[in-house]
Amino acid sequence: MYPTAQNYLIKSEISSLGDDEAATYRQDNYAKIRSVEEKALKLGLDLLGGMHVTLEVRVEALISELASDTDEAFFDILRVATTEVETSDESIINVFVREFERRDPNARLSRYFRNETAAITRRSSNEDVAAYLRTEADQAVTRAISIIRDRVDRYGVTEPSIQQQGTRRVIVELPGIDDPDRIRGLLKGTARLEFRLMVDPADNVRTLQRVIEFYETGVDSTAASTDSSLVAAADTTLDINDLLNSNQASGNVLLDVMQPFGQGVTFGRVAEQDTATVNRLMSDPRVVALFPRGVSFMYTSSAVGTTTEGHEVYDLLGVRDEIELTGDVITDARVDFEQFSNTPEVTMVMNSEGSRTWARLTGANVGSNVAIVLDGVVYSYPNVLQRITGGRSNITKLANQAEAQDIVTVLKSGALPAPVEIVQESTVGPSLGASSIRAGLYSVLVGLFFVALFMIMYYRTSGLIANLALILNLIFILGILAGFGATLTLPGIAGIVLTIGMAVDANVLIFERIREEQSTGKTLKASIEGGYAKALSAIFDSNITTFFVGVILYSFGIGPIQGFAVTLMAGILSSMFTAIVFTRIIMDYVVIEKKKSVSFG
Amino acid sequence: MKKPIRAITVIDMRIFENSNLSIIGSRRKGYIFSGILILISLISFAVNGLELGVDFKGGREFVIETSTVLDATAVRSALASVLSSDPEVKTYVVEGVDQLLVRTVGEEDIDVVKGQLIRGIADAFPGSEPVIEKTYVVSARFAKDLERGAIYSIIGSLLVIFVYVLIRFEWRFGVGAVTALFHDVLITLGVFSIFQGHIGFSLQIDQTIVAAFLSIVGYSLNDTVVVFDRIREYTGLFKSENYDTIINKSINNTLSRTIITSGTTLLVVVVLFIFGGEVLRGFAFALLIGILIGTYSSIFVASPIVLELRNRATKGR
Repeated sequence: MYPTAQNYLIKSEISSLGDDEAATYRQDNYAKIRSVEEKALKLGLDLLGGMHVTLEVRVEALISELASDTDEAFFDILRVATTEVETSDESIINVFVREFERRDPNARLSRYFRNETAAITRRSSNEDVAAYLRTEADQAVTRAISIIRDRVDRYGVTEPSIQQQGTRRVIVELPGIDDPDRIRGLLKGTARLEFRLMVDPADNVRTLQRVIEFYETGVDSTAASTDSSLVAAADTTLDINDLLNSNQASGNVLLDVMQPFGQGVTFGRVAEQDTATVNRLMSDPRVVALFPRGVSFMYTSSAVGTTTEGHEVYDLLGVRDEIELTGDVITDARVDFEQFSNTPEVTMVMNSEGSRTWARLTGANVGSNVAIVLDGVVYSYPNVLQRITGGRSNITKLANQAEAQDIVTVLKSGALPAPVEIVQESTVGPSLGASSIRAGLYSVLVGLFFVALFMIMYYRTSGLIANLALILNLIFILGILAGFGATLTLPGIAGIVLTIGMAVDANVLIFERIREEQSTGKTLKASIEGGYAKALSAIFDSNITTFFVGVILYSFGIGPIQGFAVTLMAGILSSMFTAIVFTRIIMDYVVIEKKKSVSFG
Repeated sequence: MKKPIRAITVIDMRIFENSNLSIIGSRRKGYIFSGILILISLISFAVNGLELGVDFKGGREFVIETSTVLDATAVRSALASVLSSDPEVKTYVVEGVDQLLVRTVGEEDIDVVKGQLIRGIADAFPGSEPVIEKTYVVSARFAKDLERGAIYSIIGSLLVIFVYVLIRFEWRFGVGAVTALFHDVLITLGVFSIFQGHIGFSLQIDQTIVAAFLSIVGYSLNDTVVVFDRIREYTGLFKSENYDTIINKSINNTLSRTIITSGTTLLVVVVLFIFGGEVLRGFAFALLIGILIGTYSSIFVASPIVLELRNRATKGR
């Protein structure tokens, strides 16, 4: 309790000072402020403002990544396992192994997962493989946590909290975030940097033509068409706005959402809101069959223009599937500015092995484009002018310095061992948090006032004693929360308000019992004694079950709900003490020591 | 504290002090009343169903502050044209600031959706200066986990309570207590099902509501246990008395405190409902209904069931 008050005083003192003075004050009292902050009652992100994110490490992606020599059956089993774990608590690895064994009890998983360093050979049993996958998955989560922590630290968040939850989830709590979009990108980005060659321009035009034709007629025609009008449409660079804004239906589902381009490595242009539709059209297996062998299509990271309606437009580029170089070879990255236009860019430095490959790659592909791909999005695709030695490469034309800084951050922290997905996110702005605090505080005070008023009116002097116990109870609850390092959330405050109403219950039980004892003609002292003794079992029975409910809520709830459960439990424990022990001490003091009377109304 | 402050009191406050209501005698009326409420609830579940919140259904929820007052239906139609699905829009005022609550479903990137929301509102209502104050996103898969957690915690709570009452009292009391709890939760859920969409605040079932339900379970038991405790005491005390009389006496003698404890709790819940803000309104509403029903059931449902079970046993002999 004391540190909480002290923390509040320090904060208000700092805010009363000017900026410079506040900075020196902070420096002078750094150790004290830190220790006070650590001991003080922590506020939840729903009150403080900030970001609460639950990330999940995609173990199924890790499994398919660890596997080699995969076939149709493998992906089918993995798919079945992925769907199955969605409705159960089971680990995907167990389900995967079980499904594999169900299909063919004699087959060995080791045929997919042969790995010399992990001692998985052709003869390894399925249990060995399962154990290997489990270790890999555990390590992936542990590494993901340390990489995410590194990214958050590089970004600079005060008092971040990053914890593992269960086997494959990570909870990231970041107080006082002003740019959640940037953080989201930093958290979920796998940071897989890849250097890839791109589609041959002639293949690109031919594919575009075939795909358009496919959607024109709706049937698969592999025969090369020479429809001149289509080629013309594909070859001419039209004004973006012409096609994207024309509401007239072209009669072609693809052309409705994509402007064909077909020049160089650019397949087409797509407005932001149409990307989902284009992705669907482009992933039709019959369409994929039309693509050049070993080529897939990716979007550019930044918009190439905007429609008149203000929607951003992205290029869809043909990129070869083969990865020539990965981010592993990057030893350093920094933010730079392009000499003439002063646009931000990221300069990357490679190790000697990377430099050799990069020199060979660029030397062999002068005149063509190389794509620099980060997490499935093309950040740059420079045209190679000459062989590059010395292992330098650049990601150019970035929108702003923040973006450049974030790329440097993820490159330096390293790539995540498996993709992560944001499965839950809650972001609260500071002003909404502040208004929640006020609403909560107001409810506590008003609730306290009415209950206290009622107790005095109904039970007179003993009501007053119960009210003292109630106030002591509130102080205890906050003390318990601070002492255990628990966090006060909005539902937690609701729990405190509820506790105010429930805490007097024990006293009501006792007082009613005392009244009953008095009505049988016993003395005040004997009545008090009898009342406390007889009410005890009922108080205990009724409180302990609510306490159990609190324990259960705590184990199944997330974030704010746990805060409610904690205050509920703290409230029960402290109210048992204050209502039974504290009031009794006061009663005995008044009645026995002072020989005064206490009214029970 | 020289003298009791009796002088300033106007009335002597004693509620149901020496009540002698024939609660056991009129228990059939209670059964009929409860039966009707449960029937209405079940019909409402079948007809209206229950509206699940973002926690259990998955989806996105945004709180957007605007500098001008906007009409919910107008915002809805403006957003329907920019978003891929029809959103759900509510408007309210918090501390003089106009806020919009927007709920959407879909799998698009969250940054894209936020951009669409801001642009959609800013374009349709120039000068409204929308700012996203709160974002809450739950993926469908995570929602399933939360749902499972909620179901486990409800079953777990009922089980723990049953076992506890079983250990402390005899099995008939356990059955009585758990029946009363089912009764309370069922009817409170029924109220949610009937009023959803017809009331000024959200009655979607989310984690907070589940927490409220479990609190109701814990609290309603509170009242029930006090009566049971008294029945146990009186059974030892008045051995010659009829069991009906003992139970009736127990209920009557604890009536005053049942009403008062529920009253004080109800008081703070009403305060929470009025002052606790938009986030806690559904929570407070659940508690409000739950405590009312819970108090009723601890008098008219739990103990009479114990009696019925006992009567059946003696008849069988």
